Amino acid sequence: MGKMRFFKDVKKFFNYVIFASKAELKSEVADSFLSWLWWFLDPLLYMLVYSFIAVVVFKSGVQYFPVFVFIGLNTWTFFSKTVKSSVKLVAGKKMIVTKVYVPKFMFVFEKIGVYGFKMVISNLLVVITMIGYKVPITWRVVWIIPITLVLFVVTFGFSTIIMHFGVFVEDLLNVITVVLQLGFYLSGIFYSIESIGKNIVGRVPDPFGTMLVKLNPMALVITDLRRVMLYGENPHWVMLIAWFVAGILMSWVGIKIIYRFENSYVKVI
Amino acid sequence: MSDNAAITVSDVKIRYRIFKKISLLKTILAPYKYKKTELFEAVKGVSFEVPKGQILGIVGKNGSGKSTLLKAIAGIFSPDEGTIDLHGHTVSLLSIGVGFQSKLSGRENIYLSGLLLGFSRQQIDEKLEEIIEFSELGDFIDRPVKTYSSGMYSKLAFSITAILETEIMLIDEVLSVGDAKFKKKSYEKMKSLITNTDRTVVIVSHSSETLKQLCDSILWLHDGEIKMQGSCDEVLPIYEKFMS
Repeated sequence: MGKMRFFKDVKKFFNYVIFASKAELKSEVADSFLSWLWWFLDPLLYMLVYSFIAVVVFKSGVQYFPVFVFIGLNTWTFFSKTVKSSVKLVAGKKMIVTKVYVPKFMFVFEKIGVYGFKMVISNLLVVITMIGYKVPITWRVVWIIPITLVLFVVTFGFSTIIMHFGVFVEDLLNVITVVLQLGFYLSGIFYSIESIGKNIVGRVPDPFGTMLVKLNPMALVITDLRRVMLYGENPHWVMLIAWFVAGILMSWVGIKIIYRFENSYVKVI
Repeated sequence: MSDNAAITVSDVKIRYRIFKKISLLKTILAPYKYKKTELFEAVKGVSFEVPKGQILGIVGKNGSGKSTLLKAIAGIFSPDEGTIDLHGHTVSLLSIGVGFQSKLSGRENIYLSGLLLGFSRQQIDEKLEEIIEFSELGDFIDRPVKTYSSGMYSKLAFSITAILETEIMLIDEVLSVGDAKFKKKSYEKMKSLITNTDRTVVIVSHSSETLKQLCDSILWLHDGEIKMQGSCDEVLPIYEKFMS
């Protein structure tokens, strides 16, 4: 019955989520006409920073380095921004939450809509640089679809659970910020965790490299996106399926606790 | 229990106790400090029924649990004990500015609020012109809400909730917004909404005068309990005497 309620609610509030995501993006752009330019400039400038660190400081480069960084950065930005924004999400929607009933995980969908759209826009940089570098494309790029699905499910799972605890735990944001910072360095945004083909040397020695890719879903997703897009290799299917299942389970737990406790949120915020 | 009840509230208790904000750091550094929890029961076992099409007024002094009860009926939060059954009717709490995005235009905010209240795009499309007309905003409807004066803001908010009608309406203090002219108009609109025989209404108010004009029956809450329940003529004189 609980599952039925979830799908019914998603159907009922789907239009709201779409409209609210658009509204949020629109009001971001409303202030200055060119603020959408930052959706490109942000990853572009960060890529230059990491190029400096990787190439000049650590004297290591990876084939198609800019594309390599963009893929990691855009994916990570989507994940970390969604998760971070979930912490104070309910309190931030006080105006709504105190006046009308909305299943609270709909706010997570709204954030996924906003940051997902930005990810798509900034991924145009990936396409452009791939053309620029004449990266040979294989049929394996179609695996982007299942990998992205895993990304969404895992992000939703983490975010719903964190959103719930964010209502009650005052200093959760501090903790999450530090954990995300650690996650950033452990996800191989500007270096390769594992060796791929002949050209890429992994920077994390085994068995830690393999463990990292297996246990950190973001490292897995980013590594596999690069494998299918840049190097024509297969993704880690078993681990992807495992994280898909784990993501579904986390989402299920998240939805369950939100349904159980969401009507008490108003008493706290 | 009558068959045509629109709202059935049985033995509802609402507490503000169990959920309190915690801090991870403080829990680690001073765990014993956080064990203290204050018990506050805002509603202490209230039961009543509102038949379909009836208008119920709730009175009581500040802090008697009126608004808490109203929010529970609206489904904004659930009672700790007891049940509230709306028998499948749609419900809305008439309130000012649900989720307005200040950088977006009034028109876009109508959609945002409407969708949030559970209406479909099509239903909003149908009512859009009526809402804009009622709000008297004219060309301002396509300007960002942040450019509105507070009067214009509340005019828009009122028009949205008043024109997108639901079967059960919950009203926390009869709204009178805007300038004198709009105040009169919104009061008239409110009155016509409330007196529509298909609609069930619960009004929380301090004004006996308003309640006498609008309500079929009165529920008097005192410290979270029902002190008296009955027709306007029975309850209001005693309530007024009690409060003076």
